[in-house]
Amino acid sequence: MTISGFKSLKWADPFLYAATDPRGLFRHISLKENRSICLSFIVPAAVALTEILAFSILGRETGFFHYKITYGLILAFLFIVFKTVVSAALMDSIGQFLGCSGRISETLCILNYSLLPKCLLLPLVYIFKTVNFAPLFFYAFFTMALFARSAYTAIQGLSEMHTIHFSRALLIYLSPGILFAVFILFISFLAVICGIGFIAG
Amino acid sequence: MDRNRKILISIFALLILSVMLAIIDISIKVQDDRDRDHRGMPFRTGPGVGIVRVEGPISIKSRSGPFDLSAGSESIVKRLDELSRNSSIKAIVLRINSPGGTVASVQEIYHKLWKIRKRNIPLIASMGDIATSGGYYIASACNLIFANYGTVTGSIGVIALSPNMKGLFEKLGIKMNVIKSGNYKDIMSSHRDLTKDESELLQEMIDTSYRRFLKDVALGRNQGISDIEPYADGRILNGETAQKLKLVDTIGTFDDAVDKAREMAKLDENSPVYDEYLTPFQQVLMSLDTMVRFGSTIKEGMDGGSAFTLEYRYRP
Repeated sequence: MTISGFKSLKWADPFLYAATDPRGLFRHISLKENRSICLSFIVPAAVALTEILAFSILGRETGFFHYKITYGLILAFLFIVFKTVVSAALMDSIGQFLGCSGRISETLCILNYSLLPKCLLLPLVYIFKTVNFAPLFFYAFFTMALFARSAYTAIQGLSEMHTIHFSRALLIYLSPGILFAVFILFISFLAVICGIGFIAG
Repeated sequence: MDRNRKILISIFALLILSVMLAIIDISIKVQDDRDRDHRGMPFRTGPGVGIVRVEGPISIKSRSGPFDLSAGSESIVKRLDELSRNSSIKAIVLRINSPGGTVASVQEIYHKLWKIRKRNIPLIASMGDIATSGGYYIASACNLIFANYGTVTGSIGVIALSPNMKGLFEKLGIKMNVIKSGNYKDIMSSHRDLTKDESELLQEMIDTSYRRFLKDVALGRNQGISDIEPYADGRILNGETAQKLKLVDTIGTFDDAVDKAREMAKLDENSPVYDEYLTPFQQVLMSLDTMVRFGSTIKEGMDGGSAFTLEYRYRP
């Protein structure tokens, strides 16, 4: 990127779309796919950093904080990326199952950018921590609220990408969570049966 | 579009700023904890000594609002209440660095301390630079009083001040129109002299508050009023003289007071000390708050004080 390109602030467009126009985000991604996918990984890194800090300011920190903000940050970033990649893969598979075309790189890009609102968790929680007004409550509240905003961005992006209705996009978005929940329930059920069998035998 | 991009970049800048602030804030906290570890006071839990700090002039008004900065009798009473309800707190050290304050606020703190004392929670007062008048009043509610050699204490008495600017008003040709429902409604007005009746009324109020002061100090110190009265003429004393006159029990530092509190509560010598804790960011706000208060004190002095109050306070 040239200096003039940097100064033009056009590189900020995907972030702007993610914040204001989720449908526009997909159109932007489809035009500049390669550049957008690389840039999109900044968002999980920023989210990992802000989430670690937001959690840390609420408690009493020890020297462990320095590990958390270095190695822990890398770990959190890798975990978010792993989660996003797996979710994108599952959403793409289910999308194809529902008759949509396979577009995993764009799905991954949308999911990454959709995490952008979560970056606001730190400044929001910081305000309530500083004024000492129910910081834990607002931490939980903003976590949920920003997750909802993040989900809305992703669903709108998916809806635009596959040119499907919002409800279908919602189904695709929720599918990895549903699959995971069913999987856990099934494993727990089998584990309980095995446990009972072990005790009875 | 260009404008929106600039707004977004500004939000990014704020995010980066908040990240930097949070990292600095947490790092200072971690460093503080490490320093405490090096001083042999690691962060621990369990039975220990609670610290309550009384800093500066005391008034009712609680300033514990937006930044949770404790000052004012309301927040001091709240802190005392929290400590007395905490089962881990076996003794309380009251660190006093105050010239006193308004009569009602001092009495509120005194009565709270007295309630705690009745519950057999050992109370130790540790005097800093100054613990005069109302500062001494609240110290007298404690089981023991520690002072440094150079602590300024005493000043037992009541004071009410109001400037008389009658001459200035006359010089400037300003006249006040006063319509009042009773003779005393504009008592202590700055534009006229005090009448004899008004003076007698105020003197009675002052004397009543003074007698209450003597009675409470005598009760707290387990002495007769007649033992204290000879020195209760408003004179200030240093720690050493105050000890000789039995207004103070021991000459010692804050650490000595904490050790004594541990001993009285039968705690281990390394038992934890629960001091009031402010985050580094709150400390910055506290110093800003102090500057603002210093400014308002100067203004108050120049204005001559807008509200009339009776004070247990040393006013040099």
